[in-house]
Amino acid sequence: MIQNTKCECGHQNPLGTVLCESCGKPLVEDLPLDTPLEMRYDGAARRSQKANPALIDRVWNFFSSVKIAVYLIIITLIGAAIGTIYPQESTFINLDDAGSYYKDTYGTWGTIYHALGLSRTYQSWWFIGLLVMIGTSLVVCSLDRVLPLYKALAKQQVRKHLTFITRQQTVYSAPLVEEPDRWIEQFSKQLKRKRYKVWTDGSALLAEKNRFSRWGPYINHIGLIIFLLAVLGRSVPAWHMDKYIGIDEHQTVQIPNTNYYVKNEKFTVEYYKDEELPDKLKGTNRAKLYQTQAKLYACTKYCNDDPIHEPELKEVESHPIEVNSPLSYKGLSLYQYNYEERIRLIEVKPMLEDAKTGKSYGPFDLPMSDPPPAVEAGPYKLTLSAVFPDFGLDAEGRPMTKTRDPNNPAFVFVITGPDLPDKGEMYIYFPMPSGDDKAVQQQINDSFRKLGSNSGRFSFQVGKMENVSFSQYTTYLNVRVDRAMPYVWVGATISMIGLVMGFYWQHRRIWLRIDDGQLTLGAHTNKNTYGIRNEVASALGKCGVAVDPKALDNRRSSS
Amino acid sequence: MNRWLDISSTAFIIAFVLYCASFIFYAVAVGGKRWSNREPAAHNRRWGRIAFVTAILGWIAHLVFFFTRWAGGGHIPTSNMYEFMTFLAMAIMFAFIIVHLIYKNNLLGAFALPLVVIIVAYASVFPSEVQPLIPALNNYWLKIHVTTAATGEAFFAVGFAAALVQLLRVVDFSRTDKAGRREQRWTEFVLFFMVVIVGFLVAVFGFRAAGYEAKFQQESVTIDQQGAEHSKVQTVEYGLPPIVKPYNSEKLSMDTFIGMKEPLFEAPSWMNGVNAGRKLNTVIWSIISGILIYAVLRLLARKPIAARIHPHLTDIDPEDLDEISYRAIAIGFPIFTLGALIFAMIWAQIAWSRFWGWDPKEVWALITWLFYSAYLHLRLSRGWQGTRSAWLAVIGFLVVLFTLIGVNLVIAGLHSYAGV
Amino acid sequence: MKRYRKPIQYLILAAVLLIGGYAIGQSFFTSKTVLSSGNAAPEFELLGLDGQVHDLASYKGKPLVLNFWGSFCPPCRDEMPALQAQYDKWKDQGLQLVGINLSEDRVSVGSFIRSYGVKFPILLDKNKKTERKYGLKEYPTTFFITADGKIQDIVIGGPMSEETISARIERLFASGQ
Repeated sequence: MIQNTKCECGHQNPLGTVLCESCGKPLVEDLPLDTPLEMRYDGAARRSQKANPALIDRVWNFFSSVKIAVYLIIITLIGAAIGTIYPQESTFINLDDAGSYYKDTYGTWGTIYHALGLSRTYQSWWFIGLLVMIGTSLVVCSLDRVLPLYKALAKQQVRKHLTFITRQQTVYSAPLVEEPDRWIEQFSKQLKRKRYKVWTDGSALLAEKNRFSRWGPYINHIGLIIFLLAVLGRSVPAWHMDKYIGIDEHQTVQIPNTNYYVKNEKFTVEYYKDEELPDKLKGTNRAKLYQTQAKLYACTKYCNDDPIHEPELKEVESHPIEVNSPLSYKGLSLYQYNYEERIRLIEVKPMLEDAKTGKSYGPFDLPMSDPPPAVEAGPYKLTLSAVFPDFGLDAEGRPMTKTRDPNNPAFVFVITGPDLPDKGEMYIYFPMPSGDDKAVQQQINDSFRKLGSNSGRFSFQVGKMENVSFSQYTTYLNVRVDRAMPYVWVGATISMIGLVMGFYWQHRRIWLRIDDGQLTLGAHTNKNTYGIRNEVASALGKCGVAVDPKALDNRRSSS
Repeated sequence: MNRWLDISSTAFIIAFVLYCASFIFYAVAVGGKRWSNREPAAHNRRWGRIAFVTAILGWIAHLVFFFTRWAGGGHIPTSNMYEFMTFLAMAIMFAFIIVHLIYKNNLLGAFALPLVVIIVAYASVFPSEVQPLIPALNNYWLKIHVTTAATGEAFFAVGFAAALVQLLRVVDFSRTDKAGRREQRWTEFVLFFMVVIVGFLVAVFGFRAAGYEAKFQQESVTIDQQGAEHSKVQTVEYGLPPIVKPYNSEKLSMDTFIGMKEPLFEAPSWMNGVNAGRKLNTVIWSIISGILIYAVLRLLARKPIAARIHPHLTDIDPEDLDEISYRAIAIGFPIFTLGALIFAMIWAQIAWSRFWGWDPKEVWALITWLFYSAYLHLRLSRGWQGTRSAWLAVIGFLVVLFTLIGVNLVIAGLHSYAGV
Repeated sequence: MKRYRKPIQYLILAAVLLIGGYAIGQSFFTSKTVLSSGNAAPEFELLGLDGQVHDLASYKGKPLVLNFWGSFCPPCRDEMPALQAQYDKWKDQGLQLVGINLSEDRVSVGSFIRSYGVKFPILLDKNKKTERKYGLKEYPTTFFITADGKIQDIVIGGPMSEETISARIERLFASGQ
């Protein structure tokens, strides 16, 4: 169908125009009769509505359609909902075999869920694809609408076509007895008092306020685009890191893939007292506050896994890390994630006691990790012949270490020195002060004596507590780098500003003309017609035209 | 317990009673217009004013409850399900008062108040003790996030109430064609759904008042991330007679209920989560008691309930209701965005070190937001107004309810407060 | 304005294609890469029990068997005699067999080696770094690496029998010719 786009007022409109850009007369003939005009984008031609679309235009038109945008929103919504049926893989920190986990925990449905890739819904290509399409739709839809709308609102005609006025949502028409010019002046004064901007053109009037609210949705969309781009920016490896590390007290651990080291100086936890708890929870340990005294170090030398040298560290930051208070340094953030109570010895300083002479020698330093091969205590030399960080016995009853973590360390020393045989005497030592360990220690040393490896005269005593350093808690920290965060917040803020502009103010316009003593008024707002009816009725009332706000409603009078 | 909390619980009861009274007054205002020897408009105005004043008084009592509990508990009372639901009810009242002051429509009160009453009653299902906060919840962003999100949702609730009135207003009971019948059926179904919720409350409080109790011992097997099996024996307590018992469980004790001494069925094996059997049992009881209440109402009305309400709504224009519903949602949308998404992200960034983690609760907040954006786009750009838009407002509020309650009951995530 | 319409459209769609393509492409490559046969063996540089630093490059040119072990892991201990026997059998033909200890302290490693009579060279992994590079999930894990540095076989778990080891070493030599 070839549409005649030239209006009777002489204005040449672009193809696809619904209402004449100049006088507002409806140009499309099959518009529904007697109902209020569709005023979106002021009837201007959207950019996408062009004849003879080429491929690129077709793609453009696809994304320019609000219908498509709504479909995209709905599909994304359903997809997101499906992703919440079972926990996502990303909620587990260590999940080596996801497939069997879903099968074992959720049965057949879990297997299907995992096989379809739904256990990684939000990282899947189709979900990200949907977000990309929504982003595209945001850009294209906004561009196609904001420019024509801007043009239409920038060059508004004061005198509009009668059909345009009488087919607004809010209308009023009645004979006017007063002299038109004076009445219009009086009426415009009333409107100005309501903060309208008023233009007059002879016996025609245009009043407008809060035009800026029309830009709200587009500002919101700009914010959303920035937000989405920022979220995408997090996938750039240098912009994002998410690691978990566990550190015992007094331990220093390297943050993986960085030159930073973090030390857990001290960990403290405070529990709720019984009187602070409701009856049901009394006697339970409910943590109130936990805190890691952390020090962050930067490596200055021998950083790249040098096999011989220990890295040289320089302290750059220290901070008590709590759940809501991370340590931050140059974009790196350390968050308190969790903790575990697990006593681990770090170093003991025992004395070597000789039961034969009653003398004791030492103390000597015995660190749990990487102990020195030999130490001196008085005249005696103690050579470490074996270390078992987590002592246990294997199937044949031989001593072994159960893990490589120092949960229950045991040391086998060969003592040489004055009045001892050349091959020395062999003793096992358990520094952990538990009763079980002491019994095992006694048992093994006795069996050594039976074999003739020792005479039983030596023993190890730690004595005072200050000779023992240990870690009571292991703290778990979450290491984060998120360089995109500022952009995320900027996007969210812009989006919010747009929403407030668009929803809490309404663009209102009033057109009025007086032809031969007949007053015709039409008013339009994109939201809150109730408000504009009240405003118009009150302004009319002050100018001697009493009218009930409800009577102005065009939809009602037509139904 | 301290004195503040005593004042608090008294204020709560007063608020509840006043809300109920206000609902009755609104019902009189709307339903009693055609009673003899009175002028309808004056009657409506008079009773509407009484009802509104009662509602305001109730809200003040509710505020007293809130702030005294804050003082007594030492932290803002929004940290468990009981506290959150009471806060939501308070926020809905706030939204209702705002919208009422703009539009001054009694019908809205007649539908918003029962919603508030239901939510307050629902809150009371949960244990009401003040609980100490776990460290993650101890942050002022929590207060800001929860209160703003609830306020946004409250406006959606008012939008729902107005949309429901509109549906009841426009549904045409004279139509007998397929589309007309479908419309009648679905409108009735929404009412039935609300009756089921009332049924849930009646069942829970009825059996609680009677002191009913049953206990089961359930053995559940979980597989940890290393693939090792752990079996755990838990005691599951029922407050409602067990129609279904938990999967793989033994009866420990059970009160008899009209001759029922043994549970009738066992929950299916895939319902092996903590308390899944009890939740299923609660759902079954809610539906049973909902159906009973509905049947009584149908007998009294002698026609569909929607058809009974419909004639009382004729003197309001559907366009006004459409406008109220849309306006409430339009006010609520930016607040919801700010509270449930932006503030939530800020808090999550501080407390959990990531602003977004696809936690079920977060995802459902996003779903709610997407749904209402679809609503707004359909309305503004595709001209979906009137009935279609009203249906969307109703469905939207169901999504909100699922986000608030369903996610906690069905899907457990980081937000898991105390369950039913 | 009209004159710029087309270029702007092209520009925006191109940006969408680029950014969107990147975003969707990302989603395909997020899963962790697991070493499998055919991959090049990851680099390492470790201190040996002999006090010298050894890196992967120093083993190039001859077939290499890398055995990750710890004294805390029973199957690791159980397969030590088999490994030693195979080392004795093949070393004259140029086989290199190296044990990488799983981050234990020197003394434990030394006493273990002595008590089990292990003679092949042992390297000390520090802070589990090499272990992570090789993506170990189970102990022991043994990599059979060809003379040109390609992984030919991976045996996860143990203990391996002498036949298991022998068959794979034969293949290592076969592929070198």
